[in-house]
Amino acid sequence: MNDITLIKRAVKGDKRAFEALLQENYDVMFKMAFKYCGNRQDAEDITQDSCIKLARALASYKFQAAFTSWLYRLVLNCAKDFYRKKKPEAVLNDSHIGAINAEAEIKTYANEILAQVYALPENEKSALILVMSDGYTHAEAAIIMDCKESTVSWYIHEARKKLNILIEKEPHHG
Amino acid sequence: MDEKHLQKTLEEINVPTPDDNVKKRALNLALAEFETVQKKNEKTFQGFSLLSRLIPGSNKNTGRETMKNRKLIYGGMATAMAVVLICGVSVQQFTTGSYKKQQSADETALATLNKAALAPEAKEELFRDRAAQKYTPPLEQHTDQGAVQSDESSAISPPPQPIMPMARTGAPAEMTMMMAESGAAGVSMSYQIPDYEIMPSPGYHEEGRDKFGDFEENIIKTVSTEPVSTFSIDVDTASYSFVRRQINEGVLPPKDAVRIEEMINYFDYDYEPPETKVRPFKPTVTIVPSPWKDGNKLLHIGIKGYDIAPDEKPRSNLVFLLDVSGSMNAQDKLPLLKNSMKLLLETLSPDDTVAIVVYAGAAGTVLEPTKASDKNKILQALDQLSAGGSTAGAEGIRQAYQLAGNNFDKEAVNRVILATDGDFNVGISNPEELKDFVERKRKSGVFLSVLGFGQGNYNDHLMQELAQNGNGVAVYIDSLSEARKVLVEEASATLFPIAKDVKIQIDFNPEMVAEYRLVGYETRHLNREDFNNDAVDAGDIGAGHTVTAIYEITPVGGKRAVEDSRYAVKTEDTKVHTDFSNEYAFLKIRYKLPDEETSNLITTPVTTENERDNLLTNTCSTTEDCVSSANDDVRFSVAVASFGQLLKGSKYSGKLDYDGVIDMAQQARSADEFGYRAEFINLVRLAKSAAALQKN
Repeated sequence: MNDITLIKRAVKGDKRAFEALLQENYDVMFKMAFKYCGNRQDAEDITQDSCIKLARALASYKFQAAFTSWLYRLVLNCAKDFYRKKKPEAVLNDSHIGAINAEAEIKTYANEILAQVYALPENEKSALILVMSDGYTHAEAAIIMDCKESTVSWYIHEARKKLNILIEKEPHHG
Repeated sequence: MDEKHLQKTLEEINVPTPDDNVKKRALNLALAEFETVQKKNEKTFQGFSLLSRLIPGSNKNTGRETMKNRKLIYGGMATAMAVVLICGVSVQQFTTGSYKKQQSADETALATLNKAALAPEAKEELFRDRAAQKYTPPLEQHTDQGAVQSDESSAISPPPQPIMPMARTGAPAEMTMMMAESGAAGVSMSYQIPDYEIMPSPGYHEEGRDKFGDFEENIIKTVSTEPVSTFSIDVDTASYSFVRRQINEGVLPPKDAVRIEEMINYFDYDYEPPETKVRPFKPTVTIVPSPWKDGNKLLHIGIKGYDIAPDEKPRSNLVFLLDVSGSMNAQDKLPLLKNSMKLLLETLSPDDTVAIVVYAGAAGTVLEPTKASDKNKILQALDQLSAGGSTAGAEGIRQAYQLAGNNFDKEAVNRVILATDGDFNVGISNPEELKDFVERKRKSGVFLSVLGFGQGNYNDHLMQELAQNGNGVAVYIDSLSEARKVLVEEASATLFPIAKDVKIQIDFNPEMVAEYRLVGYETRHLNREDFNNDAVDAGDIGAGHTVTAIYEITPVGGKRAVEDSRYAVKTEDTKVHTDFSNEYAFLKIRYKLPDEETSNLITTPVTTENERDNLLTNTCSTTEDCVSSANDDVRFSVAVASFGQLLKGSKYSGKLDYDGVIDMAQQARSADEFGYRAEFINLVRLAKSAAALQKN
């Protein structure tokens, strides 16, 4: 059964359909969340929030955008809320940077790049990940982020600028 | 920065595979929320959304921390006290100190705990408390529309992860090590929780949505101003089963869930039975000293209903109306219901008919009226039932009554038996309309009984009212043994009414009694004039039922709680006839035979001859003295009433505490064939522990 059928059934109150929809999309949602936050713990929490949120929000999906895009937007919103709720010091202490080391064993340089990416402002980070990691076009990213295409371009531009500046400050990686 | 590197890094973000257990938990939570949302969409708002209930902080201090208290109790009292103490210490430090300080407080506390070699559960407690502080409870949120578009509407707070038990896989030791390494330097602790407990199953409901009608405890009345007390009898027992369940889980029940008369009437008493069916019951009256206040007395009324001999039993035309909605999908609901039904089948005669109507998303007849002799067919229909979908109780009720009506037998007992966890959402969603419907049907000869299941979503109030309007009983089934009690041992009481609209009126003699207070029956109060009015509905008694009512009275000359009005007429001036000088009161019982519409009257004076000198047996010294003690039944019912008052936090309990109740009940165990009285004593012990914990 495809997502559309499942969604329609779930909106009518079919619990099994909703469960199937979740089964189908959990991994995707987890991936979205992980890319956004960069560590397993937060990604799991955000995904869980998103699943619960989906139960409430599904009825408002109007089949206009692709479901994946709509879902992505939901996950991103949940992620933002998640960090807004979390204490600032906690975010600094145990969120991104340390977690990258432990979680994804990637080489140091990439690690540092990621650390810089995760330090970007929310929207710039989202835009960057959507476009450069997930391969969405600026127009598609705009739908997910619920803004204009030109705004996405602007976020990416800003992100690039910041990353360049930040990285140039470290001559070691030139 | 190198664009290529950035691109490559981002493309190659190494996303780990999701953890199956975490996924399962998220799915379960989402499904539970899904159900909540569906319910909310279908009817008016009926409680808290699931989320707020799952965030630890939000249900703190509600006195319903089931998990917590249960764990504590089972962990042993001494252990529990230690944990509470330690938690208390670290809480204090947290509020005054910094985040880091809190962590070291954690460690100190944990080290202490480890030294004391406490049960693993105790450690969970510590973390649960900590978790409760770390996260702020979210605001309740009801917006369903546009939730995705607007940031504000997606108010979801972090899930209470650290509260998941970590003791399952021997983690405590590892964890302690981890924390020892991190030292007090404030390196952030990351709990890697190896095994999540899948907390809520689909359709899981945290407690706190059970609905009880609220009522105030009866107050003391003065005989000079209000000499007559009137109430309807109540043979329901639902309250006791519900209370028992809560206490067994380590929490004291909500006060409104405690209906003392239902607790008393849960037990079977060996009162003297009536001889004939025409005069179907006999009151037994006893007056004993009150254990609650020195100088006061208790007026104890026991009524035993006529028990139908097996060959006298009328045929039964039963229609079961079973709730198979999603919320019934729990071990203590649908599966228990099915097993209970199988028990009941055993007690039916081959000639009786059984039909089954189910309701969920849609209502449907799954079994046309079938003779009980065709047991296989009935069992097959039962086995095919499964829970799913929302609740359309009212539609089901119509169908059930229609079936009962089609198969109506004037000679038989025609009864719809509703089994549910308490939600009627669709169709006649207005409770008033539903009650009217049941009442109209009652007049046509089809009665309604209610079997309640499960908790968390239990709508006690509506069930009570439906059963009352349907001339039936409301019972709460929390276990198979309870099902046995209600459906097998008391089958005839549950199924065959011997009298309906049974009302009790007590006329107190102002020369003997100054004040009185009825224990329980708050929800059954009737006006004085209702007693003789046959149009006023009241409770029903089934075959062999016993009903007990207790008044606490202050004799004239005793220490009164209420002062007379300055202008009140002195009793001397209204001297009652001297013939009544040894009469405390006059008891009147009105009832209708099941198929009659005019009432009959039974009366009996309550005199000093009914008086016993002792309530307890261990207060008497000589044999002669002990003869004048109350019998076991009186003693036991007073113990139950005392327990009920303690649970309700009654202001009339006086100096009697849980230990006093245990002592009293110990002296009243009688034969106790099925062990209900022994179970009661255990329950009081548990309640005592739970109460002690709640105070901390």
